[in-house]
Amino acid sequence: MSIFLRTFISGLNLGSIYALIALGYSMVYGIAKMLNFAHGDIIMIGAYTGIVAVMNLHLPPVVALIVSVIVCAGLGMLIETLAYKPLRQAPSLSVLITAIGVSYFLQNLALLIFGSEQKAYPQMSGLGSFTILDVKVDGITVMTLAVTAVIMIGLTLFINGTRMGKAMRAVSEDRGAAELMGISVNKTILITFAIGSGLAAIASAFYGMTYVYIKPTTGSMPGIKAFTAAVFGGIGSLPGAMLGGILLGLIEQFAKAYISTQWSDAIVFAVLILVLIVRPTGLLGKKSTEKV
Amino acid sequence: MKKVLALMLAAVMALGLCACGSGSDEKANEIKIGGIGPLTGQYANYGLSVQHGAEIAIKEINEAGGMNGMQIVFSMQDSQGDPEAAVSAYGKLIDWGMNASIGTVLSGEMASVVNASANDNMFMISASASADKCLEGSSNAFRICFYDSYQGIAAANYVAENLPGKKVAVFYQSDLDYSAGLYESFAAECKVKGIEIVDVQSFLSTDTDYTAQINALVDSQAEIIFLPIYAAEASVFLTQAKNGTASAVFAEGTYFFGADGLDGILTKVSNASEANNVLMLTPFAGESSSDAKVSGFVKKYKEAYGAAPDQFAADGYDAIYAIKAAVEKAGYTKAADIKGEGLSAALVQVSLEGVTGDMKWQANGNTDKSAMAIIYKDGNGTVFGE
Amino acid sequence: MAKKLKTVHKDLLTLAILAALYAVLAVLLYSGAMSRQLMNMLIPVSMYVVMAVSLNLVVGLLGELSLGHAGFMSLGLFSGCLLSLFLNGQVPEIVRIPLSMLAGGLVAAIGGLIVGLPALRLRGDYLAIVTLACCEIIKSVITNLNFTGGALGLNTAPVYTNAKHLLPYAAVLVLITALVMMNLKRSKQGRAIMSIRDNRIAAESVGINVTYYKLAVFVLAAFFAGAAGALYGHCFANVKAVSFDYNVSIEILVIVVLGGMGSIGGSVVAAIVLRTLPEMLREFQNFRMLVYAIVLILVMLATNNPRLKQFFAGLHPGTLWKKWKAGRIKEKEAGSHE
Repeated sequence: MSIFLRTFISGLNLGSIYALIALGYSMVYGIAKMLNFAHGDIIMIGAYTGIVAVMNLHLPPVVALIVSVIVCAGLGMLIETLAYKPLRQAPSLSVLITAIGVSYFLQNLALLIFGSEQKAYPQMSGLGSFTILDVKVDGITVMTLAVTAVIMIGLTLFINGTRMGKAMRAVSEDRGAAELMGISVNKTILITFAIGSGLAAIASAFYGMTYVYIKPTTGSMPGIKAFTAAVFGGIGSLPGAMLGGILLGLIEQFAKAYISTQWSDAIVFAVLILVLIVRPTGLLGKKSTEKV
Repeated sequence: MKKVLALMLAAVMALGLCACGSGSDEKANEIKIGGIGPLTGQYANYGLSVQHGAEIAIKEINEAGGMNGMQIVFSMQDSQGDPEAAVSAYGKLIDWGMNASIGTVLSGEMASVVNASANDNMFMISASASADKCLEGSSNAFRICFYDSYQGIAAANYVAENLPGKKVAVFYQSDLDYSAGLYESFAAECKVKGIEIVDVQSFLSTDTDYTAQINALVDSQAEIIFLPIYAAEASVFLTQAKNGTASAVFAEGTYFFGADGLDGILTKVSNASEANNVLMLTPFAGESSSDAKVSGFVKKYKEAYGAAPDQFAADGYDAIYAIKAAVEKAGYTKAADIKGEGLSAALVQVSLEGVTGDMKWQANGNTDKSAMAIIYKDGNGTVFGE
Repeated sequence: MAKKLKTVHKDLLTLAILAALYAVLAVLLYSGAMSRQLMNMLIPVSMYVVMAVSLNLVVGLLGELSLGHAGFMSLGLFSGCLLSLFLNGQVPEIVRIPLSMLAGGLVAAIGGLIVGLPALRLRGDYLAIVTLACCEIIKSVITNLNFTGGALGLNTAPVYTNAKHLLPYAAVLVLITALVMMNLKRSKQGRAIMSIRDNRIAAESVGINVTYYKLAVFVLAAFFAGAAGALYGHCFANVKAVSFDYNVSIEILVIVVLGGMGSIGGSVVAAIVLRTLPEMLREFQNFRMLVYAIVLILVMLATNNPRLKQFFAGLHPGTLWKKWKAGRIKEKEAGSHE
């Protein structure tokens, strides 16, 4: 029982990180309708910003987080303006390739600036931990879960309740029609990127506090896992992204603890394929009817 | 679309590739040494370390008058860790007129490059390609580092002799050749020596969370955790084991025992105390060494690159000196005369006092040298057992 | 009818250019005039041409995003090389290498069939993630098996040969792949596949067997990727399954998109340019991958710029041919008036 419980806790811990990353990813994905392959690398930039802000500029952690959110949001808007906006009319795959180019660019830029050696993310002390039935639960796990839930609810409220959110939904539904209704598509997508990249900065802080070490290639794996989580949960669905992320973490840790550490990756992907065959639009995805 | 333009572009590129073959006039008597390794991408730190170590040696040699009067020109080419790019880079270096090579940094690249060099009579001494079989395919290929199965066996022997009767568990990276190679030979030798391995856990390069494995290893009540992995991953493991989300912690006094891959662990961990009780077999003691040659190298390296050298850097440094020893033994004074066979025949006759120990080479390319066991405590490494 | 003839002409021209290119390369290679760098790149780049042309079948013709092409390459590489290692010394090279390519292709085709099955139910990004997952599963399986060499990699040194031995096979494979794709594109089957891409429901309603064609496309693309993988394995002495992860699939996808959806000539050119670009950028040393990324982004921006597109279209051999012919007709007309 205690093995089961502690695997569950460690799965929640990993899953909450995936979920947090997947939220920002899924938001851009749902509204701008593009696979932003550079999202993971924005997380990496956010983490480095956090390290520089705390270690070199000696800012308090909360201020560092704010700086990192601002830097990432700005970076996201810059990328959108320079690289994605000129391709608004281009086929979606061209945008995907550009995003891959941006991802390469950010990785190699970080390599040149920060070097290839890993750097330790500043650790927040005083979060502590508690035990349930002999199993240690880290404060950071609870905090990540709480922050993810708050962001998920906040984003859902924002998208469903505000004018800007309405514009986002309209742009997601039908770009041309939204434009005709007087919605500035460019501005809406720009704001989407700013929010998505800001969320990436928040995710970077939690990633850094949990997994400590940051390298220029840190972003690529979480990026692909977030993509997986977002598709798992259903594209464009924020609760789906959160659910998908948490399930992904749980499956991964249970596979490691009970089946095999060597096969854990294969097991995660096999479960993903099975779920998608049964539910072709993900766990919480909307089933759209196709028309000729 | 844009076919003609692009074809023209390709043609120009192809011509460019041909043209650079013939150039390079031999007015100055320079010896051209080439190297290949990942200078970008996820393994960049290994390639850059070898490059930096080699550059320190080259600067020293050139300032002292060169190799038999020949000044060294050095070219390190990026491979991103990809054998395909490594083989292309090797071609580029041949076109450049390379006289001798420090091979490649990674084993996977080395195997292909060695085979591609089979007809070139090219002398190669890799700093760090450690896979058992990666030198097969050329009689002119050597290495500075240990080979993997030697290290696995040495580690098992060390446990049998110095830490007898303790329960051993293994944590290794199952998709990395170095780690899998060390683990396999270690496990085989443990069987021979009657050492009980109570648990084996592994991880993948894509994993970021080792909690499940750490919990299982703690449960196994092992007193020695064998870590045949690199320092970057080991630091993640140690950090998560000491203050991560794992439910259990290792008993006080558990040894984290590794091979040369753990080198540089102190500079990698976020807090030096996390590396407490890390015990490793390494030929290069770095800052813990009292040897004047080693500390001189460490000092120069720190001045030039602002960080302490790791073992890859030390291997790169020694590789250049191995070429120097071979050139001098063979008596080459003109770069144009240098032949791979000649250098190989010379190298097996010399012995080199390098920063990674005193070395002699066998004809199969492997080196004989001894490893020492270093244990870390609060940021200081000392030779174990003294 | 006239239109069909024109596409035949265009295809023949592309094939002729391709054949001429290989002829020139062969002359350079066998006369010893070729630089070693180019010689070492020859076979890997050719295999990327095959990978790109075959992926273009899935992405360009069928219109499905696949992120798992590297998995088929890996399947073909390991099965083909294992067969080649087994036959080594027993049959001459001229039989052994084609056999290993065929075996690699067939094993990969079976993989394609298995991956194609979920493709029947899934579309778009959902399918993309499943192909990516399949690629990662293939990687895991090969890494954890013993007879494939596991994490240490398969030691292919006994069957390793250089470009001088492999060029004929590579040239033939590239030409066959291009020929098959061109014929398919022009055939009834090809039009059926493209109709599925353009509108699946409409295609279904006119009686096109969507299931059959989707599976056929995955199988065919996987076959060529597998054959290419088998040959690719012969120019390395040690191959590891971990090298064939989703990043490789993405690199191939980049080639396809850059070369143009459904354009075979485009895929060929893009494969050559993109695979040689990092080598060309060696002068930039540690900045080279940064420069590569910038070039990639700029090229995507430029090729999607309408004005530049027009400019490039004007340089197309077909267009040039048309212009030249129009000029001749004018000349003739002018001549007959005299």
